[in-house]
Amino acid sequence: MSVLGIIATAGRWVAEEEHIYTDADGNVVTHSPLLPETAEIIWGGLASVIIFAAIYKFGWPVMKKSFAARTEKIQKELDAAAADTSSAATEAAQIRTAKGDIAGERARLLAEAETQAAAVLEDGRARLSVEVAEVEAKAAADLVSAQSRVGDELRAEIARLSSAAVDHVVTGSLDDATQQELIENFIARVGASA
Amino acid sequence: MSDNRIEGYARGLFEIARAEGTLDEVEDELFRFARSFESSDALRNALTDEQIPPAKRQAIIEDLLGGKATGTTTQLISMVVGSGRTRDLPAIVDNLVARASAAKHQEVAEVRSAVPLTADQEARLTAALVNATGKQVNLKVVVDPSVLGGLVATVGDTVIDGSVRTRIDQLKSRL
Repeated sequence: MSVLGIIATAGRWVAEEEHIYTDADGNVVTHSPLLPETAEIIWGGLASVIIFAAIYKFGWPVMKKSFAARTEKIQKELDAAAADTSSAATEAAQIRTAKGDIAGERARLLAEAETQAAAVLEDGRARLSVEVAEVEAKAAADLVSAQSRVGDELRAEIARLSSAAVDHVVTGSLDDATQQELIENFIARVGASA
Repeated sequence: MSDNRIEGYARGLFEIARAEGTLDEVEDELFRFARSFESSDALRNALTDEQIPPAKRQAIIEDLLGGKATGTTTQLISMVVGSGRTRDLPAIVDNLVARASAAKHQEVAEVRSAVPLTADQEARLTAALVNATGKQVNLKVVVDPSVLGGLVATVGDTVIDGSVRTRIDQLKSRL
């Protein structure tokens, strides 16, 4: 129960002690239930004034301070939001700038890659030319070697066939008369060699 | 076989032949047999086969030389075969021939020919070799078909090569 209620109830009790009575006919007369007693109005009004004064004196500064703190907090949040917005805008600007830099870097890297690719291609062509020249030289040397080898083999084969032919021809031509002639020639040659 | 043993056998054969008075003939027959032994694989295998008893190998000698060589030659070869020295027969015979030649103050002249020489050819060849080397020679003719034609004469360290075989080899070398 509030202080105001307590004061009003107490005023009502005082008024009721004063205004409830029995009339001549034996009926109990009370005050109107709708309209308060005068004293009650006075006491109630007074209590109300005191209560409001107390609220104004003690509660208002607290409320005012609370409102000020809340206002300050909201202002801080607004400031922070504004700062965040500004920061976001700055970051967005930086991102846009970086994006522009990325495009430039991309173009630079592409140009550098193309330059390197051209250099590699040129180097590969030069190396390929050297290798082709070496292969051609080796092929020419192999060809000469093969010609020489075939020539050697051919000469060896001719020599072998010639040897076989010589054996065959000489052996076939060595009849008795030839044998005797060879012996006589040997004897004459040895005899004359003194 | 050691040189001493070969020399011992050669000296024994030499003395036997000389005692029999058939040194020249025996020496010549032994020389020819030794060359045949060297050139014939079948003869060499038959006479050196340890599985064949010595008596049987000696019988082979008798069959081969019986009537073709002097009895002394046949008996000497048979003795060498019977003593198990068949493999050394060529060395023993060469030593014997050298010994016989030295006894006659001659040097062995080994002549290889594709065909046999007549007596007249041997005499003229001997004279020619004496004339060419200035030494008395004991001519030993070996029929060697590998010579093909012509002659090859070896007197000591001197070789006189007039063979067709050598000329063909030189021609092949040039080819």
